[in-house]
Amino acid sequence: MISYEFLTSKKIEEALDYLDKFSKVQILAGGTDLLVNIHKESPRLPHFDYLLDISNIPELKFITLVKNFIEIGPLVTHFRLIEEPLIKGNFPILSTAAQTIGSVQIRNRGTIGGNIVNASPAADLLPPLIALKAEVVLTSKKSERILSLEKFLTGPYKTKLQADELLTKIKIPLLGDGYYTDFQKIGRRKALSIARLNLALVTKIDEKGVFHDTRVVPGSATPYPQSFPVTEESVNGKSIFNIDLEEIGEIVSKEMVSITGERWSTPYKKPAIATLIKRALEKIIKEAKTNEN
Amino acid sequence: MVTKKIELNIKVNNKDYKLLVSPNKRLLDVLREDLGLNGVKEGCGIGECGACTIVMNGKNICSCMVLAGQAEGAEIITIEGLTGPEGELHPLQEAFMETGAVQCGFCTPGMILSSLVLLRNNPSPTKEEIRAAISGNFCRCTGYQQIIEAVQLAAEKMRKGGVKVNG
Repeated sequence: MISYEFLTSKKIEEALDYLDKFSKVQILAGGTDLLVNIHKESPRLPHFDYLLDISNIPELKFITLVKNFIEIGPLVTHFRLIEEPLIKGNFPILSTAAQTIGSVQIRNRGTIGGNIVNASPAADLLPPLIALKAEVVLTSKKSERILSLEKFLTGPYKTKLQADELLTKIKIPLLGDGYYTDFQKIGRRKALSIARLNLALVTKIDEKGVFHDTRVVPGSATPYPQSFPVTEESVNGKSIFNIDLEEIGEIVSKEMVSITGERWSTPYKKPAIATLIKRALEKIIKEAKTNEN
Repeated sequence: MVTKKIELNIKVNNKDYKLLVSPNKRLLDVLREDLGLNGVKEGCGIGECGACTIVMNGKNICSCMVLAGQAEGAEIITIEGLTGPEGELHPLQEAFMETGAVQCGFCTPGMILSSLVLLRNNPSPTKEEIRAAISGNFCRCTGYQQIIEAVQLAAEKMRKGGVKVNG
């Protein structure tokens, strides 16, 4: 049995004080990952002396539009990402991804901040958030810094979060006109499945039907979700009327292997990731063509 | 490390409780051990099977994934809270019996509570919506078909009878 002292706070300031004062503090939000690891006494769980519950801090539960950004509090649940008009309207890719997480019970409890900080290679929100160029605001008692989410992640289950820092905000820049997004996921079953592979695609299609600013971020494909610049460049400049989807599929597979090397799962993942990008592009192309008419 | 017990104020099935518990105890254990609400079942203990489903602040959640210390001030409904003051059954409970949706019964409390939240938000759900709503609740007797029929029947009873859902 893992033993620890339980701390709880109702205010950000109080939580930051705890993080400043104590060492070996594990932060608890929705608990859908952490409590599983505590229950299983997972070896992945770092040793901690204090468990700091932040789940009842109202200041961390907002979704607001500030200038050209949507700002999201880390305690916003997956359920709210699905339901909130600000998210559905501006980033349907995020609502779609949240919809694929766990079950109703998990979505009612699990949070966007937890999904980010836990940094699972299979986290469903990370690929869309990276593709949307999300930033994370990290606050400690002494300072505050903003990092791009992509730079914040450093490895499987590893981030740049310092021991005295709390993730206090997620900022996502609004997409301009002409942007299209899609999220694809393969799991073993519909509910409660950990992604075998997922993929977020964000791209801009101009009035001539040409792709620009394409962002391709697969999940469960690499040790931690990251963008695929070679694939992105291979889509940019192509036209929705004659892009060779087979070729893009091959490029994304090769790029994955260039990062991971050949692994036991590679023979499965190569054609699967190619299929996911083809599906995402097909869907976006169809949408763009409908909009044109 | 010794954990001090904390005072926990929760409302369970419309009754207020002030408990002295270890904050590290799971809400599931508080409900079963401290309050004797054994209708809350423990299955997997890792949030996958839904046997420990309860309604907390209007949402169905797994009580194995909440620590007691996180539940301060919460309003909770368990299966025991659905029965009326004279012991009358809730339409969902009736419908589960009438359609034969209860086999071993282990998943039933969780199934009913997930369905309760569904019907509260959506009084006329489609089969697909029912399936989605209970997809976090496992039945290992494989009686899903009857469970879906039960939820449809309960929805009908509640619409016709104008029954207000408890909680």
